[in-house]
Amino acid sequence: MEILYSIPFSILEVPNLKIRKPSWLHQPSAMTVFSIVLLSYFMVTGGIIYDVIVEPPSIGSTTDERGHSRPVAFMPYRVNGQYILEGLASSFMFTLGGLGYIILDQTQSTTMPKFNRLLLIFLGFICIIISFLTTWIFMRMKLPGYLQS
Amino acid sequence: MAATSVAKPASKSNKTKSKATLLNALGYKSLLTFTILALACIAGFASRLFAVIRFESIIHEFDPWFNYRATAYMVQHNFYNFLNWFDDRAWYPLGRIVGGTVYPGLMITSGTIHYILHALNIPVHIRDICVFLAPFFSGLTALATYFLTKELWSSGAGLLAACFIAIVPGYISRSVAGSYDNEGIAIFALMFTYYLWVKSVKTGSVYWATWTALSYFYMVSAWGGYVFIINLIPLHVFVLLLMGRFSNRIYTAYTTFFILGLVLSMQIPFVGFQPVRTSEHMASLGVFALLNAVAVLRYLQSKLSSTEIKYVFTIGVLIAGAAVFCVVVLLTYAGVIAPWSGRFYSLWDTGYAKIHIPIIASVSEHQPTTWFSFFFDLHILVITFPVGLWYTIKNINDERVFIVLYAVSAVYFAGVMVRLMLTLTPVVCILSAVAFSRLLELYLKEDESASKGGETSDNDENDEKGMYDKAGKLKKMKHEQLKENEADQGLGINVRSFVVVAVMMMLMMFAVHCTWVTSNAYSSPSIVLASYGQDGSRQIIDDFREAYYWLWQNTRDDARIMSWWDYGYQIAGMGNRTTLVDNNTWNNSHIALVGKAMSSNESEAYKIMTNLDVDYVLVIFGGVIGYSGDDINKFLWMVRIAEGEHPKDIQESNYFSERGEFRVDSEASQTMLNCLMYKLSYYRFGDMKLDFRNPAGFDRTRNAVIGQRSIDLTYLEEAYTSEHWLVRIYRVKKPHEFNRPKIDKAERRFISKSFVSKKTAKKKKGSIKNKPVVIRGQRLSDQ
Repeated sequence: MEILYSIPFSILEVPNLKIRKPSWLHQPSAMTVFSIVLLSYFMVTGGIIYDVIVEPPSIGSTTDERGHSRPVAFMPYRVNGQYILEGLASSFMFTLGGLGYIILDQTQSTTMPKFNRLLLIFLGFICIIISFLTTWIFMRMKLPGYLQS
Repeated sequence: MAATSVAKPASKSNKTKSKATLLNALGYKSLLTFTILALACIAGFASRLFAVIRFESIIHEFDPWFNYRATAYMVQHNFYNFLNWFDDRAWYPLGRIVGGTVYPGLMITSGTIHYILHALNIPVHIRDICVFLAPFFSGLTALATYFLTKELWSSGAGLLAACFIAIVPGYISRSVAGSYDNEGIAIFALMFTYYLWVKSVKTGSVYWATWTALSYFYMVSAWGGYVFIINLIPLHVFVLLLMGRFSNRIYTAYTTFFILGLVLSMQIPFVGFQPVRTSEHMASLGVFALLNAVAVLRYLQSKLSSTEIKYVFTIGVLIAGAAVFCVVVLLTYAGVIAPWSGRFYSLWDTGYAKIHIPIIASVSEHQPTTWFSFFFDLHILVITFPVGLWYTIKNINDERVFIVLYAVSAVYFAGVMVRLMLTLTPVVCILSAVAFSRLLELYLKEDESASKGGETSDNDENDEKGMYDKAGKLKKMKHEQLKENEADQGLGINVRSFVVVAVMMMLMMFAVHCTWVTSNAYSSPSIVLASYGQDGSRQIIDDFREAYYWLWQNTRDDARIMSWWDYGYQIAGMGNRTTLVDNNTWNNSHIALVGKAMSSNESEAYKIMTNLDVDYVLVIFGGVIGYSGDDINKFLWMVRIAEGEHPKDIQESNYFSERGEFRVDSEASQTMLNCLMYKLSYYRFGDMKLDFRNPAGFDRTRNAVIGQRSIDLTYLEEAYTSEHWLVRIYRVKKPHEFNRPKIDKAERRFISKSFVSKKTAKKKKGSIKNKPVVIRGQRLSDQ
């Protein structure tokens, strides 16, 4: 057996190599994974894939009754259509709300002064409320009869 | 609005639930669990009934009509006849082997229910079973979601998840009463399979893994989306291997599941040998080989137990992985394994369908998703979903890896296709439920601990019971947290209750949103339309059924109807007539032929129609009532699909106006004005004056006066137009009916009356000129 192994090395010289696991290759931490996931979530909910396939303009425009052209941020009534910016704005709001919830949770897990905690709770709460109300307004712009009829 | 009132208590009762766990009486707890689950099921069932209450118990849309027809056939004949059913009424002249091209799970399910009910002497019509099957299964989905979430996190989160999935619009959209489609039962099968899989990963028992395989079998029989399971579970195993979390439990669970699942899935006629022959299934096979390689190396490692073996192990795993990959690639290249089919390929290369397969891109539910759909279908859950993901990633263990992978892949797929929002919805419900339950736990429980310090220890125990199989790390963290909380508990009840009330308000808004969306967007049968007048009065537009019944009553039994493929199933289901193409879009060239007929001029179209033996042509025209889903709006897809197969005859650019727009008014191109679809849609429409404000021939859908007012047809004639002109049916003339040119009476030339017969009274008998004289025994003289 030994002889069989050593046959090729009678001709070849074994190079002096040291293969090491590259230092950057290790299991990523939970936070890294989560930030990557959150970033991709931000993009997907913003309809990046739609933007790539359909290639809508970044912002729309209409002409009002006097013939001036006005920019329009939201494509109204079109459920299956969007402009690039409206998608990004709303997915930013989704992410902001999510961060608000995470901040609310963070207030519980660390030892911090009472005032800071209160501040954090306040911050998280504001984030949630803002994102909730803004998405509500976005919905009303997109679908003017939302929650009414 | 009965559903609103039911839906709200369901989400509110969660609040009472998390408080009630503090009572720590097992009886109360299980009673509450039971009540909440029952309420969730009832709420889910009730909010799916809008369509039945507003209209009637009717099958919706397009695909359900085929499923219903197949189910009715199966109930009428028996199961084996159904499997052998050759449907000669579809895809004329090809026909369709229904038994071999259908996922029979849906039909078997409702057939079984029908059989059981009839065995109990409860005479329910099969149509009612079909209509109510999806709402019924949504209740089961809620239960399955509860169990899955309970395994993953805690029973409290499970209850929230069950309530969410019961009313979330993303799932309701495919499971309202009457939408009798594969997805309705498949989501239940999906969640149940995942529950059993998580259970078998946790226990590592053959028993649970076998159940997983059986449930997977049901899923395979029900929906083509089973491919998602057979890729996600191997992915889970693979990632666990990468994370160095190999264990005997995983080995047992996966090998049992894989082998049984493979054998079982091949029993479905439609699936056949695909699990061993197509690329979609190769990942599971590869992971199976890899897992075995890892197990062998593990075994060697335990025998050799030296430090060097660790490197051998890593390298061995890498080599095994590479070898498996290479083998799969080689086999694909050699043609043994079929490459990815177009539908799946378009999930990776998002532009693929748009360029190569217009028929896939043409289906509206295959469009990429906009932000609006995410929010519309999930509402608040879209915000809390990453929060739940954060919790699971932070406290990771074997089974939570699974839900994280599920979440990430489903988000991507939902972004590519609106339709796959359906697979995203359950995981969003689960993770949001985790987020909410954690938040409520923090903000409500501390509340209690501040007032009743004595109960916290009980509370903690209770919690441990609920949080099944938790990693040791987490437990410690929980303890620390508790200590900290006890340390500074004086945060103030006000802030907490403020937060809790706000969260509750949001959940309530969620329930309101869900009910509103269900009632306004997802509860239309689309067979029967409703329009609302200024005073709120409702008019039912029943043109589709009217026209299909006309076909049924007034045409020959074997008449062949040509229409765009969208209406194939409906014509077969309601009109009971032979169709050329239908919603089972398996033959692209046949569809392209119909598309070509619709988009070429009348004489060209007539050639195609005679070749295909068409008797009637049916078009949908919404210009009178302003119905936007009609054939003119779908027309560009017909042109595109026809162009894909016949690029010489049909060019899309010919159908646009000079400025490159698709229009129907006088600016439209000549090709457009002369094509069959245009003529059939607007025949006689130019004389019609809808109201006083607009000129005659004003199309309400496209807000334009049509370009060609006077249309006359040579090869077809109008046979029937429904009340609101929604459905127009034309009869294709036989060649003898138009080959004789029509001549006005005045111009007709008759053979002149001056002709005098040579027959006189004497010569009554007629005689033949040059009549050969036959003499017996002699040949004829002149030959």
